[in-house]
Amino acid sequence: MAIKDKLKTDLFPTIWCPGCGIGLIMQQLASVMDDLGLDKTNTVLITGIGCTGRMGAYMNFESVYTLHGRTLPVAEAVKMVRPELNVIVVSGDGDTASIGGNHLLHSIRRNPNVTVICNNNEIYGLTGGQAGPTTPKGTSTISSPAGAGYSPINLQGVVASNPNAFYAKTTVYHQGPMKKAIKEAIEWPGFAFVDVASQCIENNGRRIGFASANDMLQHYRTEYKAAPPGATHLETHQTGIVKGSPVAAGETRS
Amino acid sequence: MTKRLVQGNEAVFLGAVKAGATFFAGYPISPSSEILAQASVYAASHPEFRFLQEEDEIASANAILGGSLAGAKSFTATSGPGFSLMQEAVGYGHKVGIPCVIVNVMRVGPGTGMPTMPGQGDLLQTRYGSTGDYTSIVFYPSTVAECYEYSIHAFNAAEESRSPVIILSDAFLGHLNEVADLDEIKVPVVKRTLEPLAKGSTRLFSGVATYPDGEPATADGDEFIRQYYESRDHRRAVADKYNFHEYGWNKDAETLVIAFGITARVARPLAPHFALFRPIRLWPTLDKELADVAGKYKKIIVIEGSDGQYADVVEHMLLRRVERVPLLGGRMSIEAISEGLDRIGMLPAGFAVDKKSAAPVG
Repeated sequence: MAIKDKLKTDLFPTIWCPGCGIGLIMQQLASVMDDLGLDKTNTVLITGIGCTGRMGAYMNFESVYTLHGRTLPVAEAVKMVRPELNVIVVSGDGDTASIGGNHLLHSIRRNPNVTVICNNNEIYGLTGGQAGPTTPKGTSTISSPAGAGYSPINLQGVVASNPNAFYAKTTVYHQGPMKKAIKEAIEWPGFAFVDVASQCIENNGRRIGFASANDMLQHYRTEYKAAPPGATHLETHQTGIVKGSPVAAGETRS
Repeated sequence: MTKRLVQGNEAVFLGAVKAGATFFAGYPISPSSEILAQASVYAASHPEFRFLQEEDEIASANAILGGSLAGAKSFTATSGPGFSLMQEAVGYGHKVGIPCVIVNVMRVGPGTGMPTMPGQGDLLQTRYGSTGDYTSIVFYPSTVAECYEYSIHAFNAAEESRSPVIILSDAFLGHLNEVADLDEIKVPVVKRTLEPLAKGSTRLFSGVATYPDGEPATADGDEFIRQYYESRDHRRAVADKYNFHEYGWNKDAETLVIAFGITARVARPLAPHFALFRPIRLWPTLDKELADVAGKYKKIIVIEGSDGQYADVVEHMLLRRVERVPLLGGRMSIEAISEGLDRIGMLPAGFAVDKKSAAPVG
C-alpha cells in the first residue's frame, strides 16, 4: 500500500489555493492511515464547512461533509452506532471552535473515541479572511481592520477540561512531529485533538505581512519550539503532545 | 392482545421501536420529553439500541443524520423551539438524502411560547422551515393508537423517500392516555434503503451539489436542477403511497369541517352537523383527495390550533374562500370551537356544549 491509495488523485488538482497548508495535513494523515492500516472499510472521515472540509472529497474513504460546525454531533453518532469504526474529524478552526464550539465542549465532556484534526490557520479563509476565534489579538483582517479585539480561544485549555483527553499542538512545517501527533491521536482511546498551525497565504498571510507561503512556513520553523519531554502544558508556540490519563474503551471517563 | 393505557408520546416511541429504530438522540423539551425518557430506559435494557442525550437540538438533529448514515434507523423528538433549531439539519437531510424521523410535539409559540399548552402552529415550519426548496413528508395522528401506527409509517416513508420525515403531535395528544391494543396494529416495516458507511464504498455525503464521483458541482446550475427535480419527483411519488386521510361525520351536511390531529377529536361533538375531512398526511398536501369531496359543500370551515396556517393552504389548494376557527393560547376545547363558530355565524342552531361529553373522545 502507499499514500496514493488513500487519495482520489484523479480529482486533483484540489480546490485549495497554491501555498495552502491543508494539503500538507492531508499528506501526513494519508501516511498515518497507511501505517495503521486504515481503509475505507474501517474508517470514516467527518469534515466541516470551510476549505479544510473539502479534504473528504479527495480521500479514498467514506466521508460526510457536514453542516457548518456540526462535525462532532455527526461523528459521535457514527461512533456510537458503529463503535468498530475509526472516526476522524477534519475541520478548520472556525468550524470547530466558533460555530461548533458548544459541540466541542460537550463532546470533550463525553469523551467519545474520535480524533479531531483541526487545521488552525487563525482565519476564516473560504469566506475571504475574516477574524475567527483563533485569530491573535491585534491581527488586521477583513472584519477587524483595526486589529482583532479579543484574545484567541484557548483550545488546549478547553480540551484539558476532560482529564482523559489527548491534545497535540503542531505545525505544517513540522511534518515529522505532525505525523506522530496524528498517529498517536488516532490510537488514543478517547477524545483526541490535534491542533495544527497552518498557513493561509491568500486570505490572511499576505495581509499581515508575509510575502509567500514559504515565509509562513519559515515563521513556523523559527517561532515554534518543541516542548520539553514530559510537559503537561504547552506554552504558546510550543509543539508537543499532552495526554490525560487514558480510559479503556467502554469505560466512563473520570 | 393486551389492552392497556398508553400515552401518546409513549406510543410514538413504541412505534419507532417497532419500525426498527436503533438510535435516538435528543434534548429535553416539554411536551416531548417523555420520548427522550422512554428512549433512555429502553436503551438501558437493549444494548442494540443507542441513546444519546445531546447538548442541544442542533446536535440532536445532526446526530440522527450521522446515526442514519452509519446504518441505524434514527430519530429525535422535540417541540417548536427545538424544531426551529433543527431546521438547518432538516434541509441537509433532504439535500443529502438521509432517512430519519423527527417528532415535533407542538406547543404554543412563537419564541419560548407556552410550553405546557397544545398548539398546531408549526405546520408551515414543517414545510418551509429550512432554506431552499425541498419536499417534506409530514404525518399528524389524532389518537394514541394512531401515534403508534403513523410512527411506523413515518419510518417507512423516511426509508423510501430518503429524507427526514416529520411526525406532528401536540401537548394534548402527547400527554393523552388512552386504552389501546398496539399489538393489533399491523404495519409492514420497510427495510433500510441506504448502504451504511464504510462497507467498501468511498462516497462523499455533502450538502452542496456534488457529482457522482465526489467532485463538488458548486458552479453547475444544470446539475443542481437535475438533482433537485430527481429528488422532488421521487419524494412526491413516495408520498403518494402514504396519502392518509379521513372523510366522515355527516357527509350529507352542507358544510365541511377540515381539522387534523387532536383538533379533529375535540370537534367531534359537532359530528351530526358537519362533514369532516381530516388530513393525516399534512405535507405534501392532499390536493386530489380534498378536491374530490370539497365540491359537494357550500361552505368549508378550517378549525386549527393556529391563526389560519392550514386555512391559507386550503384556500390555495381549492382556490376558494374558507371560514376560519383559530384555536389560540392552548384553548383546544369544544367551548373554544363553539365560540369560534358563533363568531363567524356558523354555530349550528341548537348546539350547546354538553359538559359531560366535552372530553375529546373519538
